[in-house]
Formats: sequence, C-alpha cells, structure tokens
Amino acid sequence: MEIFLQQLINSLSVASVIILIGIGITLIFGLTGIINFAHGEFLMIGGMTTWLVVSHGGGFLLGAAAAVAVVGALGFVLERSLFRLTLDRPMNGFIISLGLIVVLQHVVIRFWNSYQKAIPQPLASVWEIGGVRIVAMRAAVVLITAVVVAITFFAISRSRYGLALRASVADQETAALMGVPVRRYITGVFIYGSALAGLGGAMMIALFPITPFIGSVIVVRGFAVALIGGLGNVAGAVLAGLVLGLMDGLSAGYGLPEWTEAYSFALMILILLLRPQGLLGGTAGPKAI
Amino acid sequence: MIAAWKERAVLALALSALAGPAFAQSEGGVKIGVVAAQTGAFVSAGNTIGAGVSLAVKEINDGGGVKIDGKTFKLDLLNRDDRTDVNVAIAAGRELVNDDNINALYGTESHDFSVSMTKITGPAKVLQFTGNSSLGAILTEQSVAPGGPLHYTFQTEPPEFQRSGSTARGVLKLLGKEIGQPLKNAVVFVADDATGQYLSEHYVKALEANGQHVDLIKYPPSTTDFTPLLTRAKSLNPDTVHFWYNGDVTLIAFPQAVQLNVAKGYFLFGVDPGVWAERKLVSTAPVTLSCVPMCWGAPPSPEAKSYFDRYFAAGAVKGVQSSVSLLYYDYVHWYAKAMEEAGTTDPDKVVAQIEKMKYQGVVSKVPLYFDKRHRVTFATEVCLVKPGTSDKFECAVEEPPAEPPPGDNAG
Repeated sequence: MEIFLQQLINSLSVASVIILIGIGITLIFGLTGIINFAHGEFLMIGGMTTWLVVSHGGGFLLGAAAAVAVVGALGFVLERSLFRLTLDRPMNGFIISLGLIVVLQHVVIRFWNSYQKAIPQPLASVWEIGGVRIVAMRAAVVLITAVVVAITFFAISRSRYGLALRASVADQETAALMGVPVRRYITGVFIYGSALAGLGGAMMIALFPITPFIGSVIVVRGFAVALIGGLGNVAGAVLAGLVLGLMDGLSAGYGLPEWTEAYSFALMILILLLRPQGLLGGTAGPKAI
Repeated sequence: MIAAWKERAVLALALSALAGPAFAQSEGGVKIGVVAAQTGAFVSAGNTIGAGVSLAVKEINDGGGVKIDGKTFKLDLLNRDDRTDVNVAIAAGRELVNDDNINALYGTESHDFSVSMTKITGPAKVLQFTGNSSLGAILTEQSVAPGGPLHYTFQTEPPEFQRSGSTARGVLKLLGKEIGQPLKNAVVFVADDATGQYLSEHYVKALEANGQHVDLIKYPPSTTDFTPLLTRAKSLNPDTVHFWYNGDVTLIAFPQAVQLNVAKGYFLFGVDPGVWAERKLVSTAPVTLSCVPMCWGAPPSPEAKSYFDRYFAAGAVKGVQSSVSLLYYDYVHWYAKAMEEAGTTDPDKVVAQIEKMKYQGVVSKVPLYFDKRHRVTFATEVCLVKPGTSDKFECAVEEPPAEPPPGDNAG
C-alpha cells in the first residue's frame, strides 16, 4: 500500500511537469495554429538561464523570473521575425521550428558547452508521512503548476481577452471586423506560451540536471498532452497530463519498466483513435489570415 | 569574355600545380582520425576522446614527431563529431577512411557504433582503437588473425567480465565496510539500449559471483523523472542500487533515489569523484563512484595526476567521464611507439609490432599488452564518498578476475 501511495504521489509530480509544458504547447498550437517543435528548446533555454543566474550568485527565484522574461522575449522575437511570416503556411512554420531546434541547441553549446548543468535544489527537504516520501521541491512544482493552470484557465475562459481570443480562433475575419487585433493576440499567446516554457525550464533544473538536448525529449510529451487533452483546451491539458503521469507511475511500478514510455504513447494513440478531437475537445487551430 | 575565363582557368591550374608539393608534404604525415560524440547524449564520454587524442598528438609533435626509419613524421589530427548518431558516425568514418586516408582511428565510445565502424576500418587497413568492451563478442583469435576482418581493431578496455568483476569487487568491499553489515540484495539500474543491455548482462553475473541476489531494472533511455522506477526498486528491498552506465543520466537518477531512500548504499558507474567535489554534491547515504580507467578527482598514481593536470591545463572541460580521455591518450602514444619500433607506417607491420609489444603508459601500473584477441587487461578504480562530504574519498583498485564467472560467456 505504501508503495502504491508513493507511486500515486510520483504520478502527480510527473504530471505537473508535463502539464506545465503541455499548456504552453496547447495554447500556441491550438489558438495560433503555430506548430513549434522548438518549444522544448525554449524550455531548455529557461533552464540554462536559471542556471546562469544561480551560478552567478542570484537566487533561484531571480533565476526563474529571468527564465520567464528571457524566454518570453525570445518568443516575441521569433514570432515577429519567423513564425508570423508562416501563419498562412503552417507547414513552413513547422519546418522552421525543426531548424530552430538545432540552431538554439548549438547557440547554447557555443557559449556554455554541451555538458550537463545543475543547480542546488532550492527546497531540499523531504517529508515522510506514513512511509510515503514527499520531496518539498516537487510539491512546490505541483503548487506552481496549479496556480499557472488556474490563471491560464480563467484568462482564457473568463476574461475579455480570452473571449476575444476564442472569437478569433473561431473566425479570424469576423473577429478582426469586430475590432479584435488578431495578429497582436497571436503574438501575445506565443509570448505567454513561451514564458511558460521558460518557467518549465526553471522548474526542470530545480528538479534535475539538464543538458542542451533535454528539449527534444520533453517536447514530444508536451505535444502528446496537447493532442490528448484537445488543442487549446487548458482543462484538457491538465486531464491529459494527469492521465499520462498516472500511466507513467503505474506502468513503471507494476508493468515492464523499460516499456514505461511505450505504454504512455500507446495510450495516446488509443485515445486519439477513439476521440480524435481529444479528451475534452478543442480547436482545429485557426484558419489562415 | 570567354578569353578572360580561359585565362583564369589556366591561372587556377598553374596555382594548383604550385600547391602540389604542399599537399605531398601533408600526405607524408601520419593522419589520426577521431570519431566521437561531441554533442548529443554521449557527449560526456565522447568529448574526452578528441581532447585526450589531441593532447597526445600535441605532445608527440612538440617532441619532434614520430621518428621512423630516419625520417620525422608529424601527426595530423582529424576530429569528427558523430552527434551520438550512428548514421553520422558511419558517414564521418567513411569520410576519414576513404577521403582523408587516415592511418588510425580512435573512437567511437558508443558500443554499437564501434562495431559498425570496424566494417569501414578493416577493409581499408586502418587501425582502430576503441574502448568498448562489447567488441569482445566479436574479437576472436580467427577474426584478428592476418586476413581476418578485425585484424586492425584493438579493444582498449578489458573484456567486460574483467571490468565488471573488478568494479563489483571494489564496490562491495567499500560499501560493505561503510554500511557495516553483509550486503545481499542488489538492484542494477540500467538504460534499455544496446550498451546497457550488453553491460548489465556481465555486471549482474559479476555481482552474483560476489554473493549478491540481483534484480535488474531497465529504463527507457530518455527518462528524466526516475521516481516511479526507483519506487519499484525500493519495493524490492535492496541493500545497494547500482546505476550503470551513462554518468550524466546517473547524476539525474541518483539524487532521486536518495530522496526516496531506496537503498542503504549506491554505486554510480562512470561518475568521477572530481565532478562530485566540483559540484559540491553531498549524500547522506554511502555512495561509491567508478571511473574508466582511473579517476581524475582521485588519481591513484603521480603519473595519472600529472596527466590530468596537463589535460585540463590544455582547456579540456572537467566532466563526469573526463577520465576516459586517458585511455585514448595512452593508445596514441602506444601507436606512435609501435610505428617507431616497426620502422614503418605500414599497417600490417605496425599491427604485428603492437601484438608483440608491452607498453607502459599511464593507465596501468604494469605494462599493458594485447592478448591473442586484441584485448587488454587492467583494473578499474572505485572510490567511496564519505557520507556528508563532497571531497573525502576512499578508493580501491581491485584486480579483475582471470576467468569469467559462471553464466558469463566472456563475450
């Protein structure tokens, strides 16, 4: 029972990291139609930024804030200089993002080498309750993810900005005629999604050492969460993240351990076959402007 | 207009003719190729190969070069990144062998890559020095004999049963003493890839030969969050958990194991005490570390210390597996000495010379030699980190077993 409870706690922790990444992807992919496979590299740059700040004497909180700012700014620059030019040809944007993966990795390697980077864990405590061990930093990540989810959910579903955004996804032309600055909204969503990747990177390096190659491992999970939950659907991303986290925890604990990822992706295939629109439904992405 | 182009073409031909002697001079050197992961998942080991070979080449050239039959030859180093991708490794190997006409190749560090590379080096009579113990499965007396497909291939690390045996002895000795009770149950934690499958096969047998009951847990190579798998390991009540083989991944998994209190003691393969000290890592549980072949953070001999001082002074990065560089450094010097003693660069004569040599390098206290299957033998250094410290180590160098344990095919 102790081990089972530990696996449930583990699953929640695994899920929270995946959700944080998945939300950024689901917003960008679902609401702007941009397929950015370099989102994982945005996360990596967030982690590297945090490492730079911490290794130069800044605290973790400053590092995390810097990661959000730097990756948000990177998102702004890349959206304006690259992805905006591909909005009417999403496949071009997708290919550009594949190229960006290599470019961003090599920029980081050029300046800070390709070796693993780590920071001291900001919260080192481990609590033991009834034989189940809860790591303080992981609990903090779960909490931060919950706050991000709540803010994002209310911003999308309750605010005027969110209403206008959803209107522009449904029909960009009409939304534009109603005075919604569609392109500016797309930029805004891209910056927000990128900033979340920056925050994800900061959380990631608080939990594990990272390398310039961590992004490509993570991004596949992020896209899985976005597709399983339903594109652009924040609640869907949360549900998908929890499903995948639980699958990871239980399959590692009770299935063939080396098949852990295979189980998760087999589940993704099954869900997408049965519910192509995702668990909670989503957008098909906006039409070309 | 056409006349002007003709003039330029003639001028270009004339210039290339003038450049001829320079090319001829370059071809007179001995070309050393390196194919290794300088980016990608294996970067920590791969980066060190180029750096170790580069240092050896520089020292040999600074010392006047290789003196063969009254002539002096400089070593030319051609370094290629395989990006931890077997296809890139093969393309780089083909380029070095077919286009650049290298004399010897060092690398790769990825087991399946090395085996693939022998298909390129063998037919071209290019000597290949590679550390991977998985070559032991294909290096036989027949395959390395003159005319055999692996005649030019040398395995620069001991057969895996020897390395695993030496490592297991050192780990159990140091952890047993620190924990203060008999160790019976072990979990081996290894990546589910070609290298992991090969290595764990031998290490499990080595632990069993030392009285351990062993459970094997294989994880997907791209894993970052190990808590679900480590919780499974914990459910097996292990005395020790042994993390093989990628040092970078091990340093991701190990702290998670300590947080979950999975075992009484741990072993981290391929993590140098130097990195432990540099990163100021501390563990409340006893932990042992091992290096291939000896640790830069706790060098067991003055020669090894001197080597690592020179290696890092040359600008190499202090990484988890910087120690691997030593293997390749030694074997460049060995190759140079073999050419000098053979009095030729002819690959067949140089191989014959290496086969009969005993070479005293840095990697071992006793002179090394290749056996009839082109393999060497030396011990692996294991260090215990004193709990609660980041720079207090107790190290052991246990001799490898002469024979494989029961159930190990010695391949």
